[in-house]
Order: sequence, then C-alpha cells, then structure tokens
Amino acid sequence: MRACEKIYRKFHTQAFTVAVRICKSRELAQDVTQEAFITAFKRMHQYRGDSPFWGWLRRVIVNHAISALRKLPRHDAVEFEDYMATNGGDQERLGHCMDLEQALEQLSDEDRMVVWLHDVEGYKHREIAQLAGKTESYSKTRLNRARARLRKLISDRDQQNAPNTTLGVTSNATA
Amino acid sequence: MSAHDQWKHNTSDPLGLRDLEAIEPGYDGWAQIESALQTHQDKKRTWQRAGGWLAVAASLVLVVSITLRNTENDIPSGPPSTGLATPATNLASVQVQDNVNSLIGLSQSMESQVKKLREETSSMPAESAIYVAELEDLIAHVDNELSLTPDSIDLWGQRVNLMLDLAQIYQQQWEIDYGRMASL
Repeated sequence: MRACEKIYRKFHTQAFTVAVRICKSRELAQDVTQEAFITAFKRMHQYRGDSPFWGWLRRVIVNHAISALRKLPRHDAVEFEDYMATNGGDQERLGHCMDLEQALEQLSDEDRMVVWLHDVEGYKHREIAQLAGKTESYSKTRLNRARARLRKLISDRDQQNAPNTTLGVTSNATA
Repeated sequence: MSAHDQWKHNTSDPLGLRDLEAIEPGYDGWAQIESALQTHQDKKRTWQRAGGWLAVAASLVLVVSITLRNTENDIPSGPPSTGLATPATNLASVQVQDNVNSLIGLSQSMESQVKKLREETSSMPAESAIYVAELEDLIAHVDNELSLTPDSIDLWGQRVNLMLDLAQIYQQQWEIDYGRMASL
C-alpha cells in the first residue's frame, strides 16, 4: 500500500492533467483520475515493466477518460460553432482572456481528445482510432479540424485585441 | 534541442500544446483510493475463503456419501414386522442419524454461503441464469419431499449437492466479473 501511495503522489498531477485535457471538466477529471488509479493498482500485476510506468498508467487514464466521455449525454459535447453562436456577447471578454488553453477548452470533446492525444501524448492515428472505435482517417480528419479550430480561435482573439489597442493609441494621441 | 528535434516538435505539435503547464489537482484523493483498495482486498479474501469452503464442503459430501453407502451395506435386512431392534440396527440408525444431522448442518451453511455469493455477484449471462433457476426449482422440489420425509439422508445429500452446484455457478460468475474488472 505504501508503494501505491508513492506512485499516486508521483503521478497524480500528470494523471489529472491528462484527464482534464480530455474531459475538460475538473470534476469529471477528478473521478476519472481516482478510478484510473484504483484500476491501475488492482491490475498492477499486469504491468510487465518493459516500458515506462507512466506510459502504462497513462493508457489506463486515457481509457477511463474516453469511457467517461462516452457516458456523457451528446449535448455536453459543445461544438465550436455552437459556442460562437451562443456566446457572441462574450466575444470581448473572450478576446481579452483567451489563450491556447482556453481555446482548447472550446473544442468539442472528440476534437480535443484527438489533438491532445496526438500532439502532446504522442499517440499514433492508429492508436487513437482504436481507442475511439473509429478509422484512422477519422483521427486524421479530427486532428486537422481541431488544429484549424485552435488556430482560428487564437487568431480571432488577436483580431479582437488589435482594434482595442489601436483605439487606445488613437484616443491617447487625440487627447 | 537539436534541429531535428525542433522540426519534429514543430510538426507533431505545431500549436505548442506541450508547452501548456500541468494542471494542479488541488485535492488529495489517496484516502479514497486506499479505502477502495482495502475493500477490494477484503472482498478478494472473502471469495478466496468461499472457494476454499466450497472445496471443503464438496469433500464432506463425498465423505458422508461414502459413509452412508457403507452404513447402508451394514444394516441387516431382517423382517421389519418383528419390531425388535438388534444392537447392530441401533448402531446403524445412530450412524444414519449422525449423517443426516451432518448433512442438515452442511445444507444450512451452504444456504448462507449461497446467499452471500448471490449478493456479491453482478448480473450473469442468460444460460447461467437459466441453470440457476433450474437448480433452484430442483432444490424447491427436494425441500417439498423433505417436508414429507425430513430424515431422508438421500434427500439431504441431494440438497447439499444442488447447493454446491449453485454456489459454483455464482463463484464462476464472480471470477468472470473479477477478470473483466481487472482488464479495464
């Protein structure tokens, strides 16, 4: 049990980060992380030790996170277009505070999962396709789409900021 | 970072997502995990004990059955109309009664074991559920006959054997559930 606690302390933050990146919700990520650690400790005997432990644990966490996402009702997966349409009034606020992290949060569950697993965790399209129960082209399409959306969100923020700055300068200059 | 690594980094992570900082959980869930693992360990031990208990019960049934066969062979087949019991028949009937009592005790223990196993087992496949239902019907049938002849060693033996079959189905189902859980 002591060894398990050491492992938990060592990997808790990493595990939670992966769970949040996939699930978006901190509450859901907390449940996922807890369940994933319990599963991992129960099947510790299955870890062969021929690969880094974190890689094995991460797979357990990703599996749990995807499983948790699947259980969510479909309407919880907010598409970017929907977000933009319903949050038009918040564009100014969005323009000021949105960074890459927030842009990531605006992606749909599937897009976020694919871009994170591929770009950060180093999963191959084949592996993502297996996890999602889809084809490799699904993973490739999702990745391109997710990257394009992230770029658009960030560029929208930059454009949102630019006129304000100009106005500020003009205003000062006029004064 | 070498030029190649830089290129690889840029192509595999063009938006720089890897540069995002780790997210601090802000909670300590170890106590819950430890408790869940402890419960799991306890459950595992209970089932291991139940498995051992089943083996012991099966052996007991075998011993009682052999004893019963030997006892029945020892009972002299004299005319029952005399109404006089010889020392040999008295001894034999005492042995039979002991065996009946052993089987009744065994049956009661099996009953509580099966109850516990049933509570611990999740849903089971249709064919197992049908088998369970059939066994329970047979047990009910034996119980019905036992209400007429409560000292029948044969019926008590049948009941214990049926309970053993029932317990084994639940235990197998638990092993399947446990394997499935472990492979998550």
